[in-house]
Amino acid sequence: MFEGKYYNGRTSKGMPAFITLEPTYIRVAWQAGEESGTEIWQLSEIHKSEFNDATTLLEYGDFPRQSIAVFEQGFREALEQKYSDAKFLRSKYNAFQKTGIKGLLVGGLSLLTLAIVLFVWGVPALAEKAAAHFPLAYERAMGEQLHEQLMLGQTIDSAKTAALREYLAALDVKSDFPITVTVVKDDAVNAFAVPGGFVVVHDAILDKMKHHEELAGLLGHEIGHVQMRHSTKALARSLSYYMLLSILFGDVSGIAAVIVDNASTLNNLEYSRSAESDSDKAGLELLKQNKLNPKGMVWLMERLQSDDPEFLKFISTHPSTNDRIKEIEIQIKETKYKPEPNHELEADWAKLKK
Amino acid sequence: MHETSTLKQETTVTNPTLAFKGQGSELFSIQIVNIALMLVTLGLYYPWAKAKNLQYIYRKTELAGSPFTFHGTGKEMFIGFIKGLGIFAVLIGVFMYGYMHGDNGVKFLCFAAYFIGILALIPLAIHGMMRYRTSRTSWRGIHMGYRGTLGNMYKVYFTGFFLSVITLGIYGFWFETNLRKEILGNTRFGNAKFRFIGDGSDLLLVHIKGYFLTVITFGIYGFWYMKDLIHFYINNILIEQDGKYSRLDSSLTGGQYFKLAVGNLLIMIFTLGLGYAWVVTRTMAAIFNNCEILGEFNPDALAQTEEDYKNATFEDMADMLDIGLV
Repeated sequence: MFEGKYYNGRTSKGMPAFITLEPTYIRVAWQAGEESGTEIWQLSEIHKSEFNDATTLLEYGDFPRQSIAVFEQGFREALEQKYSDAKFLRSKYNAFQKTGIKGLLVGGLSLLTLAIVLFVWGVPALAEKAAAHFPLAYERAMGEQLHEQLMLGQTIDSAKTAALREYLAALDVKSDFPITVTVVKDDAVNAFAVPGGFVVVHDAILDKMKHHEELAGLLGHEIGHVQMRHSTKALARSLSYYMLLSILFGDVSGIAAVIVDNASTLNNLEYSRSAESDSDKAGLELLKQNKLNPKGMVWLMERLQSDDPEFLKFISTHPSTNDRIKEIEIQIKETKYKPEPNHELEADWAKLKK
Repeated sequence: MHETSTLKQETTVTNPTLAFKGQGSELFSIQIVNIALMLVTLGLYYPWAKAKNLQYIYRKTELAGSPFTFHGTGKEMFIGFIKGLGIFAVLIGVFMYGYMHGDNGVKFLCFAAYFIGILALIPLAIHGMMRYRTSRTSWRGIHMGYRGTLGNMYKVYFTGFFLSVITLGIYGFWFETNLRKEILGNTRFGNAKFRFIGDGSDLLLVHIKGYFLTVITFGIYGFWYMKDLIHFYINNILIEQDGKYSRLDSSLTGGQYFKLAVGNLLIMIFTLGLGYAWVVTRTMAAIFNNCEILGEFNPDALAQTEEDYKNATFEDMADMLDIGLV
């Protein structure tokens, strides 16, 4: 017999009670002033009892629930001994807690490992798969919107844009997307690709170039980004990171998100390196396809390498230019074809350089 | 003239205190199972995980030595989770359709529908969450309850929102306190009622004082600023029981808050977020263990008044909208 408090579910007043564990039920004999009574609790109606330590709390029946609180230490053990099969005592969570520090440590570390594996390989792989199945028409529509918004703050050089479009038209290009090029006035030596086939070239980079093969290489590089859907994949990745995090942490604010966000940025940097070198290959491929001098790609890199501080920003998110040049030169050695002059391209190039 | 001793015995309960007895390691052992199961089920386990989490936190929160109970189940919350997800999917679909559409009129309509949809969901989510949460909370078998109406919630919310917009946010302080008044004023704990008596102007003062002192002290006052805010939210809560008023009182100090905040930050950084369970238990302990009820509140004299209520849709909706109350 154990002493405890009985609550009848109608008032919060605890009534002193004696609790007896019978083979198939629990008897609660309570007394409150003049009144007293006995409750018979069938084991099947007792609610699951978890997370107790000093006090053992049992609840019984439908709304409003009756309950007992027993402070005596041996009560829990007595319950477990007497009703070892009872549903109300079973808990996966309590079982896990009993594994102790070692179990928690092993569990925590394996979870951490799983999370790292998932984050470093799982999510990017899944996101790339998903991005690859993203319909081309949607990607084009999305890119169109994005491109439109980007162009709002830019000054378009329409003469050069027209010339560059003619140059592109004269090039033999293979792409799933229609390629739209635009030249904008900007001092930063840069060019970038927007998903869905939009390529934006700054006039500063055109001014720096000495050979039209560099331009072909640049276009090949950017079209490579478009064709391999690098931006869409990156977007899918960060979206899936975000979704995974919000699912995992539910209502966790700030800190966790910030930490992981930074981690994924570092990861993205790594990713962008492989994307860059893939696009460099695409640039070389375009030169080869058009029988242009593959050196164009190397010249392009050299333009980017000059030590003007304004390039720093462009270069910093890219792999080291020296490494890229080395890589390209290895590729050039492997590909053997005879470059042929292309008068149409040269004529368009002359118009661009005017 | 002589006093009767029975009269004295009637009021033996003084300053019933709140306490949080949870431990980081225990919560961690729950969360670790939760996270593993969520990973395996691609997040679908979330409602059950949340239920377990809440059940633990409630069970370890005590009033006058007795723990609270959270009766909500994963199944109830799963249904809510799915409904909430559905509503969000529709809204995001509308938004995406507008984004992709070339026509500016259609675009505008879609964006407006999305914005108004989200705006209209917030009061609904607060209302639903309060009804669900309170109905699922009990202490010594006595349930809490929420008597607010959706109409009033919309009125308070949209009036506050509108006035905040036209006053460029200044009314926001009154908006917030009015919302709290509406929510707490309709919250029942058996036959006891809550009231929130904080005023927007007081909240504004807390913010002005906090802001300037934080700037002047190069951020050091920030911890006392947060302490002041917590005091504002807690100390303005009254409990009415049998016509008598009691008040919650927080004795949390700026120094304690400093220890809490810096400790939490370090835990999160050095455990790469795995120590979140300790952050939760430390925070709960700091809030509850420094909180007591001043006045004649008698925890032994509560009576059951609430009906059973089951609908968890807005529990998860509130979660998705990131509404954290109390």
